[in-house]
Formats: sequence, C-alpha cells, structure tokens
Amino acid sequence: MNHPEMHLTTDEIELWAQGILGAARALHLADCSLCRETADRERKIILALVQLPSFAPAAGFADRVMARVRVPTPSGDFQA
Amino acid sequence: MTGASDQQVVAWAKQGHEAAFRELVRRYERPLFSLLYRMVRDRALAEDLAQETFIKVLNGIKSYRPEFKFSSWIFKIANNAAIDHLRKKSLDTLSLDGSPSAQTPEQMRATSLQLGDQGESPLQQVESRELGTAIERAIARLRPEYRACILLRHVEGYSYEEIADSLELPLGTVKTYIHRARNELRGYLEDRRE
Repeated sequence: MNHPEMHLTTDEIELWAQGILGAARALHLADCSLCRETADRERKIILALVQLPSFAPAAGFADRVMARVRVPTPSGDFQA
Repeated sequence: MTGASDQQVVAWAKQGHEAAFRELVRRYERPLFSLLYRMVRDRALAEDLAQETFIKVLNGIKSYRPEFKFSSWIFKIANNAAIDHLRKKSLDTLSLDGSPSAQTPEQMRATSLQLGDQGESPLQQVESRELGTAIERAIARLRPEYRACILLRHVEGYSYEEIADSLELPLGTVKTYIHRARNELRGYLEDRRE
C-alpha cells in the first residue's frame, strides 16, 4: 500500500472511479485538491466509456455463422 | 446452458452439441461485434470480421486449452483480424490515426486525413449516427492498439491481465496504453469544447 501522503497512482484513481479505493487512500483524496482534480477528470472519461452502448450484428448472424461451422460428432469426425 | 461457465459450454461443444456452439455465439456476438465495429467503423466489415472470428474459433474448438479464458482467446483472434485489416488498409488507418510517427494528439491531428462525408448511403448514415457522439469520434482517432485496450477495459470491462492475455502484450504496456488513451481522449474532447 502506498504511503498516505503520496499522490494517487493512475491505478488508484481507476479504483476510486469504480468505487473500490481503500479507505486510507480515499482519505488522501479527500485532503488533496490536486488528486481530486485529476481523479474527477479521469472519472468523466471512464464514465463516458462505460456508458457507451453495445451493438448487435444484423439479424440471422448466428445462423450465418453456424452454416459454416463443422460440429464434431462423438467419434471425432465433423458434420457439415 | 445459460448459467454454465464458458469452460463448460466449450466442453459440451467439443462433445458435438450444436446448442453449445450457438450458446457461445449468443454470449459473444454483441461484445465481439461492438469491439470490431468501433475498431473498423464499418458495420458490414465488422460483421464479416466477427463472422470470420467465430468460424475460426468454433472450427478450432478442439484446440482450445481450458487453462486460458475463452474470452481472451476469442478477443485475441478478433483483435488480430481488426489490426490486420487496418494495417492492410493503411490509407484508412492514416485517415483515422494520423502518421504512425506522431507522438501527440496535435501531431496526429495534423497528419490525419479526414474521411469523406459527402454522398453517404443510408447505411453509412446509420453508422454516422451510431458512432457520431463526441466520445465515439474521439475513440476513432486513437491508434488501433490504444483503441483495442481502452475498449476492452472500459467498455467490455476486462481486467488489465485479461487484456494483456488477449492482445499478447506485457501488462505494463497495457496499463501505459490505457493511460495514454484516456489522456488522448480527454485532449480530443477538450479541444472540441474550445
């Protein structure tokens, strides 16, 4: 664990943005305006990324994949 | 089957259960397609790459080693496909990322080409809307290696260690890429506001 007086590392800032930074380091953050400013900036970017939507391929994607997959039979051969 | 681990589903697939193959596609089609779409910014191409990734993975399922995470394996193949494509299409890569020798966001901007936006097809208009937010545009300006790392970390939620496994990069490199990617994203977004 880092010394309580040390500024937060980028890893620690990410932990804080996820809400899982340890209490001792969170105390440093509460007292250090430099770390708070950095952490706030990082959190905005991380939140923007986390909130991005996921995209789905076009309907029938799984069928198109499965049409080209060779499923092995119990004997080790492949069925078309 | 929906509650089973990936390892268990893969074991069933190896035994020849078609439903297990379909379950693996169901689990990974969205995260894989989302990653590839954001990497190449073209729906049809992302779908082709996703399809090729699944076919390669599923047809090679017998060679899968269960001591590795299935997700790391499939993302590794998908990312390699995207990076290979971007390297082959060097003009497109340049248009998104600027010169490979550029070291700062300013240099990358100065050396980048802009994608044409005239005469968009309806599909391209959909893509422009989907990927048109400020953060999506900023992601597109990252170099591909940074883009893959930041998407896997903060969009797909993988750990640094899993990303290092998937992309076959040292852990320290993954951390550096993600840190630089966040800095560059912030720079692009701040420039936009000015």
